[in-house]
Amino acid sequence: MQMLSRTAASLFWTGRYIERADFMCRLLDATARLASLPSTYGGDPTAWTGALSAAGVADAFAATGLEPSEAAVTHFLAVSADNPSSVRHCLERARGNARAVRTALTLEAWEALNGAWHEVDRFAGPRFTQGRMGELVETVRRAVLAFDGAAHRTMLRGGAYWFLQLGAAVERADNTARLLDVKYHLLLPRDEAVGGSLDHFQWVTVLRTVSANTAYRWLYRDTVKPWLVADLLIFDSRMPRSLICCYAEIVERLDQLTHGSGKRGPANRTAVTILRQLQDTDIDKVFAAGVHEFIGRFLADNARLGAAVAEQFLF
Amino acid sequence: MRIRVDHATTYGYERPADGVIQALRVQPRDHEGQRVANWRVDVEADGVLRARQDAFGNWLHLFAADQPLTSLTVRVVGEVEVRDMSGVVRTAEPFAPGVFLRAPPLTLPDPALQAWAAETPPGPVLDRLHGLMARLHERLSFDTQATTVATAASEAFTHAAGVCQDYAHIFIASARSLGIPARYVSGHLARTDAQEAAHAWAEAFVPDLGWVAFDAANRVCAGETHLRVAVGLDYLDAAPMRGARRGGGQETLSVAVHAREARLQRQD
Repeated sequence: MQMLSRTAASLFWTGRYIERADFMCRLLDATARLASLPSTYGGDPTAWTGALSAAGVADAFAATGLEPSEAAVTHFLAVSADNPSSVRHCLERARGNARAVRTALTLEAWEALNGAWHEVDRFAGPRFTQGRMGELVETVRRAVLAFDGAAHRTMLRGGAYWFLQLGAAVERADNTARLLDVKYHLLLPRDEAVGGSLDHFQWVTVLRTVSANTAYRWLYRDTVKPWLVADLLIFDSRMPRSLICCYAEIVERLDQLTHGSGKRGPANRTAVTILRQLQDTDIDKVFAAGVHEFIGRFLADNARLGAAVAEQFLF
Repeated sequence: MRIRVDHATTYGYERPADGVIQALRVQPRDHEGQRVANWRVDVEADGVLRARQDAFGNWLHLFAADQPLTSLTVRVVGEVEVRDMSGVVRTAEPFAPGVFLRAPPLTLPDPALQAWAAETPPGPVLDRLHGLMARLHERLSFDTQATTVATAASEAFTHAAGVCQDYAHIFIASARSLGIPARYVSGHLARTDAQEAAHAWAEAFVPDLGWVAFDAANRVCAGETHLRVAVGLDYLDAAPMRGARRGGGQETLSVAVHAREARLQRQD
């Protein structure tokens, strides 16, 4: 595989930003559903604050000095220029990176991304209203699916495709872990008394945010149990957003990227180590050692992997 | 049986060793009684790792380190489905059986071993091989202290003691002196006890049947607990790891090998 480091970096970050835009959309959608429930029935007044934490932008929002109202948070997460992780910003960065390496992408993949950006750009600024949030989320979600589909169907299975997928997998792992970290106090071990309807809706929100609501019912045929949610999102290799599934993909992509030259470096080693750690543990051990600590370690490991990729491929 | 292998070998060097290279024959191939479900070979150091097949058809991973190393860990993890074929191995063979009549130094029989081999009761080849395995099992006692990796067949035969490698070498040397092609197999034996599980045995060529695996140390033909990894004329051809380096002083080696029946998929 012959490729400029700069090209590799742009593809990697295109993958990451598209994945992040998708996560933000699902987070907005799931939070809106949670917040719209009457509080007696499980509606959560802190839902929007939680969404800010899950997006990892609580500090950035605090810096704006706004009240965390639905309107303010929605605007912040969807289109705000002050938020480096807003949907609009993610798409802008994804498109910027993709444009820099336009010829590494196929026409179909580029058009899906470019079209999404132009549509979202129209929502931006003062013209954005609460009522159009659903429309925005829907547009971006469809665009991301279109991009993934175009990449899957039209791109050569080579360095460009692998870097794109590698970036997406690293970001996906990060998003799932951060979502779990925000809700870790809800993820109780087996046999712990199950909370009321409030908790139930929180868990459903978690599942919805990672598009796992149907998967959960399919796999467990059970009501939503916190330890099963944690098990599904960390250890189930059938669940595409689970940490273990993301890492299996990361290891595979890095193997593909280094297969030609045989040159294996820190990224290969780090990824294999993290995957092995996940394979060597299980949900009961995680609860025994503390979910928060486990997720904290994972997030640090994942950041280390990002740095190792940059080091190995000279980004 | 589904066998899971988890195997870590760590070399420690007294001083940083330069130009470390390793030739690893640690990845099994499929044959009729064996299917590799998943397999990974990782070297925990930066460098070039390439996989190819050697002359005998074994997977050979060559690793060359980028920098001087003070330690090197090779980690091998995988799962293989093994069926009991009563020892018969059917797979693509790059060489005619006659090639395995050649005897390199480790399997060169001395007159005493030749004389002992010649006493094997006459009969069809398969019966002779079973007779040879039974006699060898009688003759040798298992002793991990008596020999080293460099001990030749005739030397271990004189001591009448050794490990699986020596059983295999003596079996091979005897079979070849009877005119039967034989070869060395390195692999794993799935165990229920905690004993370390790198193992070696021999294969001999039986007309009309093909290659048949004889594990003289356990006096059995290889069954569903024998995971076959690499073959060759002797230990040196099939050794899991061979390497070279410049400098580094004293070398220490620690090996942890586990091969056992794979757990069922976790379901709850």
